[in-house]
Amino acid sequence: MTLSIIKINSQDHKVAKLAAIAIALSVIEFFLPSPIPGVKPGIANIIILFTIIKFDFFTALWVSIIRVFVVSIIVGTFLGPTFFLSLTGSVFSLLFLFLFKGINGKYFSVISLSLIAAFAHIIGQFLIVRFWIIPHDGIFYLLPVFMISALIFGLVNGIITRSLLSLNIK
Amino acid sequence: MIKKISQFIRKIQIGDLLTIFVFIVLTGYLSSILWNFPQGEYLKIQMGAQDIGSFSLNQNSTKIIEGPIGKTEVIINSGKVRISKSPCTKKYCIHQGWINQLNQTIVCVPNQISVSIIGNQSDYDSLNY
Repeated sequence: MTLSIIKINSQDHKVAKLAAIAIALSVIEFFLPSPIPGVKPGIANIIILFTIIKFDFFTALWVSIIRVFVVSIIVGTFLGPTFFLSLTGSVFSLLFLFLFKGINGKYFSVISLSLIAAFAHIIGQFLIVRFWIIPHDGIFYLLPVFMISALIFGLVNGIITRSLLSLNIK
Repeated sequence: MIKKISQFIRKIQIGDLLTIFVFIVLTGYLSSILWNFPQGEYLKIQMGAQDIGSFSLNQNSTKIIEGPIGKTEVIINSGKVRISKSPCTKKYCIHQGWINQLNQTIVCVPNQISVSIIGNQSDYDSLNY
């Protein structure tokens, strides 16, 4: 019998720690009541944004994907429509973050990135809802509600992430 | 607290203000497009398959229509319409309240009265039930 040993490096520890915080935040958020179904603050994105600025894009990608899978298993929505909505939202957010992460600097901060990610998230979710879950144009009447929430929570999450980054946590 | 907030506001970067502005404009623009519910111009009243008539919505008047089981009273109040009196037993038509958007309809099945708001053209060629 051969024993395969997976070498765990500091990168793995980093991803695990960040993913653990993101999962905890997501699970807390899942149990908080929401006035409008589907509108959530997305506080786990604070961790993703923090990771993308502090470390690199691929760490953030890992943290985000691990978060989506583990949270869905914990709350029991794995492979259900909620899971695919969550996954698509995260993938779109990451895609747009990958494209726009370069703007972070002198003129733009993580607040802009947070807003871009929040809007990318609802774009992704609306596409999957329109083409798969509810194939009807009527759902676009709901778009303004989600855009307003993306605006508010994107801004709030961005502000929190920026103050978190200014604390110089190792 | 106030000191911290003012410190924070001073640190906001110009690009972030631009991004916030762009997204507010985008949200406002899309909201105005998506939540633009067309208003109708005329009220069409039918009794069974028979047209009772079309009336302008820009008036305050009461129409009384004689159906198979009695008289139904329709009130037009500058742009909105409701059924106020009906001889039917369940009164669903009355409970539906006011309608004011294009292609909205109130139907009183027992008395065979249907009241719908129409514009210059309809979204549907025909509807049946």
